[in-house]
Amino acid sequence: MYFAFAIYPVLVTFYNSVHTLRMDLGMQYEFVGLEHFREIVGADDVFWKASRNSLTWAVAAPLVDMPLALALALLLYRRVPFARFFRTVWFTPVLMSYPVVGVIWLWVYNYDWGMANLVLRAVGLGNFAQAWLASPATALPALILVTTWMFAGFNMVVLLAAIHAIPTDYLDAARVDGASGWRRTWHVIVPLIRPTLVNLTILDFIGKMKQFALVWVMTRGGPMWGTETVATYVVKRAFEWKTLDLGYPSAIAVLWFVIIFGLSWGLTRVLQRREALEF
Amino acid sequence: MRTRATRLALLLPVLAYTVFSAGPYLWTATMSLRTTDEIYRSHYGLPIPAHWDKFHRAWTEFGYATYFRNSAVVSVASVLVVTVLGAMAGFAFARRRYTFPLREPLFLLIFLSIMFPPQIMLLSLFQILVQYRLFNSLTGLVLVYVATELPLTIYLLRAFFAQIPSELEEAARIDGCGDWSMFWRVMFPMALPAVATTVILNFIYFWNEFLYAVVFITRQQIRTLPLAIQFLVSDQYQDIGMLATGLMIATLPVLIFYLFLSEWFVKGMTAGAIKG
Repeated sequence: MYFAFAIYPVLVTFYNSVHTLRMDLGMQYEFVGLEHFREIVGADDVFWKASRNSLTWAVAAPLVDMPLALALALLLYRRVPFARFFRTVWFTPVLMSYPVVGVIWLWVYNYDWGMANLVLRAVGLGNFAQAWLASPATALPALILVTTWMFAGFNMVVLLAAIHAIPTDYLDAARVDGASGWRRTWHVIVPLIRPTLVNLTILDFIGKMKQFALVWVMTRGGPMWGTETVATYVVKRAFEWKTLDLGYPSAIAVLWFVIIFGLSWGLTRVLQRREALEF
Repeated sequence: MRTRATRLALLLPVLAYTVFSAGPYLWTATMSLRTTDEIYRSHYGLPIPAHWDKFHRAWTEFGYATYFRNSAVVSVASVLVVTVLGAMAGFAFARRRYTFPLREPLFLLIFLSIMFPPQIMLLSLFQILVQYRLFNSLTGLVLVYVATELPLTIYLLRAFFAQIPSELEEAARIDGCGDWSMFWRVMFPMALPAVATTVILNFIYFWNEFLYAVVFITRQQIRTLPLAIQFLVSDQYQDIGMLATGLMIATLPVLIFYLFLSEWFVKGMTAGAIKG
């Protein structure tokens, strides 16, 4: 039957992801048991730096993106003129590839003539102008801002659709009960779109845990491992380091996969339980 | 009633975010029409006179014709295969009539695989491609793309097919349609809105994909656009003007379509939001 053929590639993928679990050295398989995992957790400083960067990104990005997206959605919901135009513009960045976005933002962060420093100098904060991607302290936040630029508009559109899907009866009822604009927002709209908020937060989290392309194009993990993510480290270990060992990076990928799954599962539980309590 | 002042107060943050959101891209657009010399003299000048010929030069001299063609071939081929397979499989999963071994576990597996991070498959796929001599070939890339987007496509289309009443199917059967013609003549046309959503979602994903491309493609002749841009930014770092033109070539086709079909794009991209 044809559907069996359709599923075939998925099965192959599965077959192989299971095979990754086996420790292979180069193209010659050699069984080493859990040795790789012990090394990753016990002795690999770069892995710890990379995972800390990835986690920072995955936690910080939703904290910035979601409130921003919600604020923008609420603004547009209040019948701002040309709302459709604004929505169209804000959504655009998510349609571009990471290399394109990366190059544009390399220019934005350019020390001499980039937009970021231009704006700072224009508002009299020229002292803060700096080479954003050259210092380990500012490089990661600078990259996080780029993903916010990409995804805040996208999240906004999803939230706006959720708000528009609320039956107007609810809002009318609240108005009749004398609830002010702010109270209607916080006690009617936000609780009702909570499932959407939770979903987007978790997606944002997972997306950043997997982040690879933007780093690869903009900083290659530097300076001083300052923007190394687990994903870039896996690719580096597999194809750029002269260890010629696919087993070790595979073990990192497996470990990270388990961590992503565990954390997003936990996050889902926590966010949903809070939701249950409030209703 | 809202006064003019509050209206203005609402508009201010909206405008501020619009500048933040559109500014960098518009700036790039102006640079794409200016020569690098002009840009180094002043980075924020208007493109007067506009050097439209830069697009022609990028296309012919800097290899963008090749990269564009590679991206187009890979994206279109992948979308075609994934749509046909995804629709058929989605339909089979939507109708209880089609029974086959391990049906429910299989669907669960497909659903779970939507959320798999690509890194978990990256290295094993690399091994397979090398083994079957598909490494460094566009065919190999298409196969990988199809495999990675198939689960989500099946999932989305299954949900749509499940909503179509089975009476329609029975009517088609009474008119003498077999499984095959019933699906292609009745069900598939009815599902076109949902199919369009997945086509857009998948096309954008394939057009922009970078991780698999960077690992599986090393020959210059078969680089896709995102790959080409990554290499050009390190090789021709100084030639900002030409790079900006390249960025426009890579993004304009998608953005022009988006301008005319923005509702469909929004629908498509947000449908993909269940993917991690």
